[in-house]
Amino acid sequence: MRNKRNVTPLSIFVCIFLLALSMFSVFLIFGKRNQPNPLERATDRKSFIVVIGKSDTSAFWQSVSSGAHAAAAEYNLDMNFVAPASEEDYEAQNSMIRAAIMGQARAIIFSAIDYNANAEAINEAIEAGIPVIVIDSDVNSEGVSCRIMTDNYLAGRMAGEQAVRNNLGTLTVGVVNYDVNSANGQQREQGFCDAVNESGRVADIYTVNCLSTEESAYECTTELLNEHPEINTIAALNELMSLGSGYAVRDLGVADEVDIYAFDSNVVSVGMLETGEIEGLVVQNPYAMGYLGVETAYRLINDLPLSSDHIDTTTTYVSASNMYDTNIQRMVFRFEG
Amino acid sequence: MFKRLKRADFSLSKAMTMVVVIMVFTAVIIALVIFNTVFRDSLEEAAITSADQSVEQVSVTINNYTSDMIEIMDKLYTNSIEDPSSQEELFRNLIDIRNDVVMVATYDVHNNNTGIWSNYPTKEMIYTNLSLFPVPDSGEVINISAPHVVSVLENYYPWVVTITKTADETFSNAAKIAIDVRFSAIARYIDEVGIGRHGYCFIMDGDGNIIYHPQQQLIYAGLKREMPDLMTLSDGSHMIDGVIYTVKTLDNCDWKIIGVAYLDETVNERVSAMISASVLIFIIVVLMTFVSSSLFSYLFTKPAKKLAHAMKDFEDNAADFVFEPIEGSVEVNNLSDSFEHLVKRIQRLMEEVKNEETTLRKTELKALQAQINPHFLYNTLDSISWMCEEGKNEEAVAMVNALAKLFRISISRGHEIIPIEKEVQHAECYLQIQKYRYTNHFDYEFEVEESCKEYLCNKITLQPLIENALYHGLNMIDEGHIAIRIFEDGEDVIMEVEDNGSGMTEEQVEELFVNDGTDHHGIGVKNVNDRIKIYFGDKYGIKVRSELDEGTCVTIRIPKITEERKYEK
Repeated sequence: MRNKRNVTPLSIFVCIFLLALSMFSVFLIFGKRNQPNPLERATDRKSFIVVIGKSDTSAFWQSVSSGAHAAAAEYNLDMNFVAPASEEDYEAQNSMIRAAIMGQARAIIFSAIDYNANAEAINEAIEAGIPVIVIDSDVNSEGVSCRIMTDNYLAGRMAGEQAVRNNLGTLTVGVVNYDVNSANGQQREQGFCDAVNESGRVADIYTVNCLSTEESAYECTTELLNEHPEINTIAALNELMSLGSGYAVRDLGVADEVDIYAFDSNVVSVGMLETGEIEGLVVQNPYAMGYLGVETAYRLINDLPLSSDHIDTTTTYVSASNMYDTNIQRMVFRFEG
Repeated sequence: MFKRLKRADFSLSKAMTMVVVIMVFTAVIIALVIFNTVFRDSLEEAAITSADQSVEQVSVTINNYTSDMIEIMDKLYTNSIEDPSSQEELFRNLIDIRNDVVMVATYDVHNNNTGIWSNYPTKEMIYTNLSLFPVPDSGEVINISAPHVVSVLENYYPWVVTITKTADETFSNAAKIAIDVRFSAIARYIDEVGIGRHGYCFIMDGDGNIIYHPQQQLIYAGLKREMPDLMTLSDGSHMIDGVIYTVKTLDNCDWKIIGVAYLDETVNERVSAMISASVLIFIIVVLMTFVSSSLFSYLFTKPAKKLAHAMKDFEDNAADFVFEPIEGSVEVNNLSDSFEHLVKRIQRLMEEVKNEETTLRKTELKALQAQINPHFLYNTLDSISWMCEEGKNEEAVAMVNALAKLFRISISRGHEIIPIEKEVQHAECYLQIQKYRYTNHFDYEFEVEESCKEYLCNKITLQPLIENALYHGLNMIDEGHIAIRIFEDGEDVIMEVEDNGSGMTEEQVEELFVNDGTDHHGIGVKNVNDRIKIYFGDKYGIKVRSELDEGTCVTIRIPKITEERKYEK
């Protein structure tokens, strides 16, 4: 009896000691793995995120993509950039969102082709617990974690103010807009129209909504100019609209009579600055959008605080006179890797 | 006082916990300090060395690249001078062979373009030519421009650096040759360079403008900024806010290679990992210490406290104390068992002492009572009175003196132990009185060793034995003889009372030690024996040797105890 009583506390002590020892060694093993910095730690299982753009061919979206890639490399995320073949195809975007939900993405960075039609799929993602970050153009959803975009209204105003400044006579304005359901196109149009209207020298504003393709823009612009030859100012509200309008003006031979204020840049539209079809370009900061989008995703995944749920990216006005300034060069002409 | 307070404040388990915690804490702190000082220095050094090496390598590569280009330029130049007719073919070949040469252009002395050779279509109308820029007009100087886009090609704007060579003489209507070399080759190389985990290299010109930066897109997009005053740094490594900047100026142009390495990530991370590991170790050790100390306390401290309480209780009330065994470690159990044993033993001894005390008082009282036996007194006084009547005054006086001495020694001021000398006198007095009374019915002799007289014995030891001998032994005998002998026997003293009386059977002898002498003949052998044993211990006492019709010898054994050493036993 006495013997037994003596053994019990001793064995308890030994058990506790062994338990502590094993816990400690377990910690050491896992601790060693956790020692390297947070970026390297994730190498075992990188967080998978998806960036869904509107297009993967335009210079704008290529720049978004390279910004996103740069951030993904820096924050060691497994990033996938996808975009529909056409900038009109919101259905394809919706299926990409659903694929991202199925693929258990940790975050979705999204640019909506259609403000309303993409909302349902985005809400599904948010309900599935995937944070959504909107870049470039907004979607009609309450649950979006962060919006990173150009202040499109201000960008429109910027173009409008330049138009007013450059033309001291009566302005007859043609607006070549794309999808009527795209939020940022509408905001730019609003900003542009407000700015020119404030001058009090506007005779008329004619708006066309075409498909978001170069060909459609070309046809719309040609048609518009044929119908209203008095138009002397055109606002082309995105990259493809700029090209379509530029070509139309060039082919109609009215480059000197018509000033085009366009959005975004690529090598062709920059060339048109020199040749005179396009008067000015409002250049956004797509690289920053891509980069900040992924950086924000990283912060959300790792429960780090966000500075704000809305980040405005910068815009720059580029004209023939400043296009070769060092800073503008760096912004407008992509560096081929 | 202070010591006592201190002693009371710390329990063993608390002290143990404190000691272990302090020891581990100190060890961890020392380890951290050593790690921080020794390893931080060496890691810093290693980081700087690796940054130096990387930057050196980059500068060598870029130097090679630019020298290569300058060499090509020199060849073009000399060939053009020697054989102007081959110039056209030379340029064509160059742009065909070297994919990184985008364009070759020549200009006349007025900077008018005199020819462009390129694999890409040129613009119909050239508004701006960024590849043409003013160079110092100083002979055969080769000039390398900052990166810029080529602005003369149709829908193609590659980033290039322009290498320009100005001639002091015209060669086939060209005073200046410019080669536009793709910058992407250098850029791609710079992109690949890594220093440490996060470090990188970038190129800056002498005015602090960034020529190429791996993250230039971020810088241009306003998302990143380099330190503004880097151009003021001299060549070599500089440590600014935990960032190592390594600067190296290229040999053949005013570009600087700047390596950026973060010390934080290499050193601070390890230190913080070490700190967190240490903190964890510390916590685990503290937890383990608490567990072990509580176990220790459960096994030892608490039982020890209980035991201490029990001891205190025992101290306060020894007689009624009931000990409940305390359970703990083996040591505590042993202590508990020993204490239990001790308690029982002490309680038994206390009981014994109490009983003995009682017995002693009783027996002493009896002995005294026996001395003041009224019969003896009455008879003696009767004898004295008779002597007086007969005119035997001297005898009467001796008798009275003997009686007085007898009582004086009997009482002995209340002492139980008296010197043997006194006891012998006592016995003598008694015998004297009895001899007067039983005139010459018996005689007696004393053989007392002088050395024995100082030793102590119980009072009224010899007298009862002599009384027994007189009344029972010599009762029927006319010539009775009593011998009293006192002598040493090793460590003991032997007192013998021998008579030549009727003797006793063994049963009678045994009865002597049972009968407690309550009969009318005063106190018995038992009383004397009991008193000796109570005072001196069980190994001492009375032995009786007797044979019928031969006589009886009563032997008393007591230890040698002197007045001075009375209380030692």
